[in-house]
Formats: sequence, structure tokens, C-alpha cells
Amino acid sequence: MSELFFLGVADAAELIRAKKLSPVEYAKALLERIERHDSKLNAFLRFMPEIALADARRAETEIIQGGWRGIFHGIPYGLKDIIDYAGLPTTAHSKILRDNVASSDAVVAQKLRAAGGVFMGKLSTHEFAIGGPSFDLPWPPARNPWNRDHFTGGSSSGSGAATAAGFLPAALGTDTGGSVRNPASLCGIVGLKPTYGLVSRRGVLPLAYSLDHIGPMTRTVRDNALLLDLIAGYDLLDPGSANRATGGYTAQLGRGVKGLRIGVIRHFYTRDMQADAEMTAAVEAAVTLLAELGAEVREIETAPLGDYAAVNRTILTSEAFAIHERWMRERPQDYGALARERLMAGAFVRAADYVNATRLRRKMSDAFHALFADIDVAITTSSMDPACRIDDPVACETTYARQSRSPFNVTGSPALSMPVGLTKTGLPLAMQIVARPFDEATIYRVAEAYEQASDWKSRHPVLG
Amino acid sequence: MQPDHLTIDEVRRMAAAIGLNRLSEEHMQQLLHAANVAHARRTILPVASLTPADEPAHVYRHRPGDER
Repeated sequence: MSELFFLGVADAAELIRAKKLSPVEYAKALLERIERHDSKLNAFLRFMPEIALADARRAETEIIQGGWRGIFHGIPYGLKDIIDYAGLPTTAHSKILRDNVASSDAVVAQKLRAAGGVFMGKLSTHEFAIGGPSFDLPWPPARNPWNRDHFTGGSSSGSGAATAAGFLPAALGTDTGGSVRNPASLCGIVGLKPTYGLVSRRGVLPLAYSLDHIGPMTRTVRDNALLLDLIAGYDLLDPGSANRATGGYTAQLGRGVKGLRIGVIRHFYTRDMQADAEMTAAVEAAVTLLAELGAEVREIETAPLGDYAAVNRTILTSEAFAIHERWMRERPQDYGALARERLMAGAFVRAADYVNATRLRRKMSDAFHALFADIDVAITTSSMDPACRIDDPVACETTYARQSRSPFNVTGSPALSMPVGLTKTGLPLAMQIVARPFDEATIYRVAEAYEQASDWKSRHPVLG
Repeated sequence: MQPDHLTIDEVRRMAAAIGLNRLSEEHMQQLLHAANVAHARRTILPVASLTPADEPAHVYRHRPGDER
């Protein structure tokens, strides 16, 4: 049974299609693991074994009858609890929305349901995707499976913890300033923030309209591409959705990196911020390995991290406060302290500052995208530090801000975090790969080449 | 125009002006901190690089031929 815990989507799908793996037995194995271990990790905010077993039984019956729907038929998954699943509350991990029952699925949830996926439950998040890790909410914060005294990163904290822990092979998170890639980095999994507009946000509680993205979180690069294949697509009713062809994200896997041009944004982690020494060494080693595999590596420069961060936070807090203003007037006491303070930062942002931030966003995006005339992907750090202790609020606050993910929310570029090693104390290290808009396939090509040449995807946390 | 650092009394007045009337003293201290962090952020926005023609756009721009 234990071999099922870390089975990936692609491998499980092949076994299920060939009727060598029962979706019911697969689901039962993972449900049992969740029941045994999640009281220590809190990855699930709302664990739904009844729905999971019903989905698995339906999948098994259909497949036995020759009705295999595709890769995700019979595959377990979870949703960050700001994503609507019809009939269940979408709480955003907040007292404010404790009874907010969704009347319909989010577009991404509908796609997973239609694909025959096995829904395991709603996953923990930072309150409203911004306030965490917090101990003053109705549910406890998720903990890192590599060491449960440590932070998962966030805000898609449960998605990162559950995927890394072998509770499920795939989850969805959301990313406004780095919230897919942060838990992916700290929990040692693969997380992609797609190009802005590639994945519909309809049915997902917004944090900041012009920066929000939905992204796949998995243990392997191929699985991530497969999940993106499923969830990407134009949605007329999402005003930010891009009307263009999607799919084919696995098309370049296996092609290697020979001749690809990689630009390393080194100043993010050596000059703008000083990354932890082990993090820097791991990212540099990954770049060296890609060069040995045939990539042409050069160093590139973009705007300083601080400029990107100021633009991101000015836009984010302004848009978020517009969403939360009514609740902040009527129920301020029902927020946790962290969400309340972070959201209130938008209360007094001047209109001119918000407009200037959006003007700067265009200028910085244009300048960043122009770099891709000479490169195919950029590589940099994701987090500057490994996961800190979850009971150290000062370290959590400090390390939360020490990151190089928000630049790509500003530019809208696709960006992926993936494991590049472990610290001496056994905590995950990660790098970030970025491409031009809508070129997720090239990111996956580079990421998979690295993954195949290293052995990090075979390393998993041991749950005590 | 906001001063460089807001005081708790100024924040209290500003909060009342936008209808944040149910904040406790603890909440008000959080708002003071948040407002000063936001102010510090404003000062590092690189606005000197902007010209009047630099207008906002969406997150990315398409090349000619893109069908959006």
C-alpha cells in the first residue's frame, strides 16, 4: 500500500487505465494515510472521505465499463479553500466566511469533476490568502511535512503540505504575490503560477483582481503540466481570461535543454537580497547542471526586487482592501490579526499611488519581456530562505518578504518553483524558472530536464 | 497628503472618515502600523522613471497577430 502514497498522476493514470490499479483502493490508501497523519499537519481544512469514495467508486465503475475519461479519471486531488466546490463552504480559512456554502463549482473545480477526479477535500490556506501562519483562526495552520515545527509557506499552505506528504498527487493553489510557489518551495514540490489569464479565476475568492492566478501543485513536472492541460482555457465570464488556444504543455518534455538560452537573475539573491548560503549554492548547482546538459547560460539584469515588491504590494493591498472594506467596517474583530493588519495596509493608499503602480507595472513588464529576445527562460531563487519555525512569528514575517516571486505577478509571466535540494537539516530548497507569457511548455521542458538529471523528486518526507 | 509617519490620533481620524468605526484599540495600533508600512512602500515606488505618456495597461501585452 505504501507505494501508492507517492505515486504521481501520470503513473497512476497509466495503471488505472490498464485496470491494474483500482481507483477505490488508491483512494482508500490515501484516505487512511490522511486519517493517520493529518492531525499533525492540518493540511485539510475540510476532509471529505465520503465524497472521495463516491467519486472513486463512480470512476471505477465507468472505467470497468470502458468509459475511461482521461488522465484525471480516478485521480485524487484537493482544492485550496478559496476555490468553490458546490455544496461545501468556501471559508478562506476565516470566521467571516465560515458558513459561505458554494452554490456551484469554480471553473477549475468543474473541470476536475468533469475529468472524473476524486475530490479529497478542501485544503488549508492563510486567511483570505494573505494572513498566515495564524493561530487565532477557527482552524489551525498547516505544518511542513519535512518538519512539522516548520512553516509550510503560503498562502496555499495546505495544498503544499498535502501534496508533499503523499496525501494526494495533485492540488490547486492560488498565487497573487507568490502563494503557489512559496509553499511549493518550502514543501519541496512543483508549483506553477501560469501566465495571467491562462486559467479561469471564476468561482475563486479574489485577493487582488489584476494579480490573481490559479496554479497546479504536484510532486513532478510532468504531473504539473498534465494538470495545467486540464485547467487552462478561455472563460468568457472571467474578465481577465485570455482568449487563445491552450494545451500541449507536455509537448516539449523529454527534449532536453541543449541549445536553450537561460538567463540567470542573480542580482535578486546576491545584491537586492542576500539569500541563505545553502539556497544560493543549490540554485547555482542547478544552473551548473543545466549548463552541463547543454543549455547556454548567461547572467541577466532586470529591475531591483524592491521596485517589483513595491508595485506588487501597492496594487495588491489596494485591490484587496476594496474587496474587504465592508467586512472591515462591520466585522473587524472576526479577522485574525495577521489578515486584518495586512489587509488594512490598503486602507489609506492614495489613488495616485495605485495608478502609478499600475503605470510602473506596464513599464516593468515591457522591459522584462524584452529580455526574452535573447533568452528562452530565466532562472532565479524563489524563497531566499528555507522554511523557518512556524512558532516564530518574527521569522515568519521576515522570511515571508524575502522572496523573488512577486516580480512575476507584476509582469504576469509564467513562473515555476521546483526542488533543487535539501538543507543539512533536511528542509527543501528550490529554484524558480520563468518564461515569456504563454510559454509554459518551455518552462516544463527545462524543469523536467533538471528533474531527470537530479534525484530530488524521489525524496519524500517521513511522517512520524 | 499624508505626513511621513502617521500618529495614532491621525489614524483614528482617517479611519473614522472612511467608516472604520468598530476598530478596537488593538486594531487601531495594527492600522497605524499597516498605514506606516504602506507609506514606506509608497516612497520606494520608482515614480521618477515615469513620463506622462506612461499609462497603465494590463499585465502583459500581446504581439500583433495574437487573437485576444
